[in-house]
Amino acid sequence: MQVQVQGMTTTNATPGLFKRNPPIAGEAEAIEKAKNGDADAFSKLYALHKRRVYTLCLRMLGNVSEAEDMTQEAFLHLYRKLGSFRGESAFSTWLHRLTVNLVLMHLRKKGLQLVSLEETINPSEEDAPKRDFGSRDPHLSGSVDRVALERAVATLPPGYRLVFVLHDVEGFEHNEIAGMLECSTGNSKSQLHKARLKLREILRQNEQAMPKQEAAK
Amino acid sequence: MTENVELNMTSEEFLNQLPELFAKSSDSRISEDPRYARILRENPTCAELVRDLEYIAEQARMLLEPENEIEPSPELWSKIQNSLETDKNKLD
Repeated sequence: MQVQVQGMTTTNATPGLFKRNPPIAGEAEAIEKAKNGDADAFSKLYALHKRRVYTLCLRMLGNVSEAEDMTQEAFLHLYRKLGSFRGESAFSTWLHRLTVNLVLMHLRKKGLQLVSLEETINPSEEDAPKRDFGSRDPHLSGSVDRVALERAVATLPPGYRLVFVLHDVEGFEHNEIAGMLECSTGNSKSQLHKARLKLREILRQNEQAMPKQEAAK
Repeated sequence: MTENVELNMTSEEFLNQLPELFAKSSDSRISEDPRYARILRENPTCAELVRDLEYIAEQARMLLEPENEIEPSPELWSKIQNSLETDKNKLD
């Protein structure tokens, strides 16, 4: 299937991602101008995508300073590689993939490359979610706001956080995540499940702590 | 249709298969799949777990909305510009 993206014809290989990353007005023109070295056009691309790229880095890394460094790295990389963008996917999809790869490279440089990622992304037993489904605590539905979820995601062990952000937030498929993280699809599914279990545990703990904090006030 | 037949499994089997079931389930809505209606009806703990995990996945999808994006510091653009300038000077 072929679709028109801001004046460019491109193959719609991943309709899901196009849906999540619709073309932005003025983007295609800015890309073409930036490819020819137009600084204002590049500045426009930064303005259009800085929030999305920074938020992605922040969610993957859970650290403001590292997220800013990686956002800078992503835009420098974009400047150097923009000429190779052929419009085969939405620009934002391409940029986000580039960002994800840079963040993963950064994490591997920090130590994850020494052992198989499949092993290193598994957290210690202490960090792993408890397999205790016996207690019937009040369920979460309707009680978790965005800020609480963002905070809980930031406290996840790195491996859980990566898979959760890539799958549940960014919408990547397990096979894509497996390719990126150099692990099996089954491992990606299992890590995602453990991440959700861990989040449930954190969110329920926070909910239980809340009335005590209110009472202390 | 066999696809809609309620599956006969224990809660432990169900919990063990959950990562795969979520992966197979479209939009991760196991709670609305008739094949798991019986096990969820008979196991309130499993039903709560499924409902919570579906809720977490649902909330996570909403984090991608533009209003949930975070602004980087204003200094970041200056840093990028400086790095680009340095790169350019090296090439010249």
